[in-house]
This record gives sequence, structure tokens and C-alpha cells, in this order.
Amino acid sequence: MLNEEKQYHIQLKKGDVGKYVLLPGDPGRCEPIAALFDNPVHVASNREYNTYTGYLDGVKVSVTSTGIGCPSAAIALEELVRVGADTFIRVGTSGHIQPDSVSGELAIITAAIRDEGTSKHYMPIEFPAVADIELVAAIKRAAIKNGAKYRLGITQSKDSFYGQHEPERMGVAADLLNRWKAWEIGGAICSEMEASALFVIASMLRVRAGGVMAVHAKDPMPPLDQLLKTAVDSLREIIAEDKANGRAVD
Amino acid sequence: MSEKQYHLQLSPGDVGEYVLLPGDPGRAEVIARHFDDAHHVATNREYVTYTGYLDGVKVSVTSTGIGCPSSAIAMEELVRVGAKTFIRVGTSGSIQPGTKSGELAIVSGAIRDEGTSSHYMPIEFPAVADLEVIYALKKAATAKELPFRVGISQSKDSFYGEVEPEHSGVTSRLLERWRAWEIGGAICSEMEASTLFVLASMLRVRAGGIMVMHGEGELGSLEPLIETAVLAIRELIKGDQSAQ
Repeated sequence: MLNEEKQYHIQLKKGDVGKYVLLPGDPGRCEPIAALFDNPVHVASNREYNTYTGYLDGVKVSVTSTGIGCPSAAIALEELVRVGADTFIRVGTSGHIQPDSVSGELAIITAAIRDEGTSKHYMPIEFPAVADIELVAAIKRAAIKNGAKYRLGITQSKDSFYGQHEPERMGVAADLLNRWKAWEIGGAICSEMEASALFVIASMLRVRAGGVMAVHAKDPMPPLDQLLKTAVDSLREIIAEDKANGRAVD
Repeated sequence: MSEKQYHLQLSPGDVGEYVLLPGDPGRAEVIARHFDDAHHVATNREYVTYTGYLDGVKVSVTSTGIGCPSSAIAMEELVRVGAKTFIRVGTSGSIQPGTKSGELAIVSGAIRDEGTSSHYMPIEFPAVADLEVIYALKKAATAKELPFRVGISQSKDSFYGEVEPEHSGVTSRLLERWRAWEIGGAICSEMEASTLFVLASMLRVRAGGIMVMHGEGELGSLEPLIETAVLAIRELIKGDQSAQ
């Protein structure tokens, strides 16, 4: 059976991960996140995909890095679902869009602008990239418990980091600048590179996905401890709710 | 400022901050019966407005007519006269097999399968409902013990393109895309939500929607739908008051 074998890219098989998975972009951020689990073990490393599994409140949970961008994130999500995961929280850093943001505040993502190429391989562009509402609520509760400054809203998921940061040197400068203005007018709060494809694919695969980002604004970025703690506590929150609702947690 | 809005014929003070949005002008009066001291405020074209009270707070109902073009006008003008929270309420088709007529669809996001919202934002921007409105609707449907699902709506520009795609000049495209919406997990199909949601994001107001779905079997009374929407407004009022 295919599912008994290791997945092609993430090198994981059934049993290697819990149902609940945190998804940082950076492979190097898996270890500090796993340090917040009970009894974490390193499970696999291949390409940009690094996985640790541990426990929270007695329930198996994991962290897998996606690499940068929707192409590699889509592969991670597809293969994680194939080995049994069904609840995902993307965690990482992001740019800011609204002028009053301050560095370190948390962006709890409700939906994403599909400003990338990957999700179009899955669904027509009119289809919305929306986060799971139970996960959004769980992340919000965790942010409040951690005393974090946060806002809820839409993220821009883009394919080009430097297109956002240095649009004027691009051959499509006017288009990039016009569209950035549109996202600001529309009320989008942050800019990152993976959420939209994760949300569209999660809808198709009938799994849950959400995201929490530490926003990088004009002032210096503080350490990410509060972000990582909030993300881990979000898993505790959703696990507790699932238990209360009689949903299987492992 | 005291002039009446061009289409809705409403002035500031005519409506509350909380507004229910049915499509059908004839349904505005039926909904207003659930308010205290409801009175008719204005009628012009497809826009019929009643205002009354719920738990002592001013609330309104304004019909949008069918489709995103007229709905966009309704929301723009309602915001200009002071409305801040919107719940679209009406009937819809169903997308997932096995859906029973009478099941409620609480709309969390919408497929922008229409022409209006592209006049506001690039197509990549998501049409997403306000979370507080979603939670209030969920709480209300749960309290009323009604069957419901939370999910994505297809907001389309053509009613007959959905129900009789084979009569269209773009049949294969319509059928292929309908299959995509089903694969994507969309739950219902109606004609206004996406534009209301995109516009609400831009105007920094809250919008959500609850639909009663046509599925297997006959569609019964719309009263449970309306009662749920009205209860959700009460929940939002309560939440807003305790947040102050």
C-alpha cells in the first residue's frame, strides 16, 4: 500500500506525525518549536522538510517545515495529509500592510489573497482561500492568554519576496505597486508566501488550516518567543475543544 | 449629509447599525415582523427598508434585489447612512451531494464567480465573512437546534446558468467549474455574498450570510431561517455591548 511507504518528499509514513501539525517555513525553526512539545523526537529531514514529533497534553503533535513559497508548502500539506495529519497551523514571520502595525504584533489569518501560482493548479482563481474558523478562534484564545498584541485579517500570499520589498526595480513595477495599494485599501494586514495555497488545498482535502504570523513593521523585530508559544498554545486550545466535542485526537 | 441616498432613498438616522439583507423586496416586511415597533422607511426600485428594534437597539432590513450589481449599491449607501453590520439572508442552491432542503448554510467565504467585485478589488483578494458574524450565526443556529453547515458559497451572476447549464453557450465551462466548487467543498450557491464580503472588507464593516438550501426534498417555511438571522443580530448586539 502506498500509504505504508514513506512520502516522496517529506520522508514520513503513517504514525510518524500527529493529527496536529505546526508549519513554519524555516527548517531551522522546527527545533525551537519542538522544544515546546513534551518528549520531542526528530523524525525526518529531507530537502527543506524537517519534522519533529512530540506531545501536548498527552496528544501527539508535530512540526514540519514547508520551505519558502507555495510550491513546496503544497507538497508538504498533501503528503502530511496522506500520513494522517488533519489540522495545520502555519507559523512564521510576515511583512505588514497597514501603516499602524508594529513589529512583533501577531497577525491571525482569516483568509488569503491568492497572489501566487500554485493554488491555481488546484482551484479556479475565484475560489476563496479561507482559514478554518475553529482554528482562528483557537489561535485568538491562545494570543489573548499569552498577552499578545494581535489582529485578525487577510494576508497577501505572494510568490516574490523581492517583488514586495523592492518593487521599483521590477519589470512589472507599476502593477506591483498598484496591487499593493489595493491590498491596503482592502484591509489586508500581512504579507507572506504560503497561506493561500495551504487554505485552498485544505478546503479540497477537507482538513483544517489556519495561520499566525509575527508582523515585521518599520521598528526592529523582537524575538519570536511569543509567536512560537502562541502557536503551540493554539494547538492545546484546539485539542481541548476537539476532546470536548468528542472528536478523535489521535 | 441630510440628503437621501440616490437609490435607497435613506438618510442618516433612518436605519440602525445592524441590517439584514434579503434579496427579495417582498421578504423585507416578513422579516421586519420579527422586530419590535417596526415601521416602513422607504421603497425605491428593488430596495425596501424597514426599521425597528431588537433588545432596545435600532435594527433594519433592506432588500438588495437579485445579483451583485444591485447589492453593491445597497451596501455602499447603507454604510453612508450609518450601518456597520450586515447579515445576508435568503435561499440558495446546494453543492454537496446529500444536502437536504431546509439545511442552513452559514457562509464563511464566497467564490467570486461574478462581475461586480472585480470593480472593487483584484480577483485574487478573498471574499471572506466577518468571524464575529459567523460565530453569532453559528450560536443562533445551535440554540435553535437547526441543521446547519459552515462553508463557502458560490456567488454567481446567472441563475439559469446554474440550474440549466445545458442551455448555455458556455455549457462545458459551467459544468467544469461547478465540479471544481464541489471538489473544493463549497456548500451553497447564491448571487450576492461575494461582493458584499469584498466591499465590507474595503469599507471596514462586518458582513456575513445565512442561507436556507434547496437540496433533497421540498423546501419548507423560511421562518426558521429568519428567526436564526434575527437571533444572530441579538447575539451580535449583546457581544458589542459587553465589549464596550
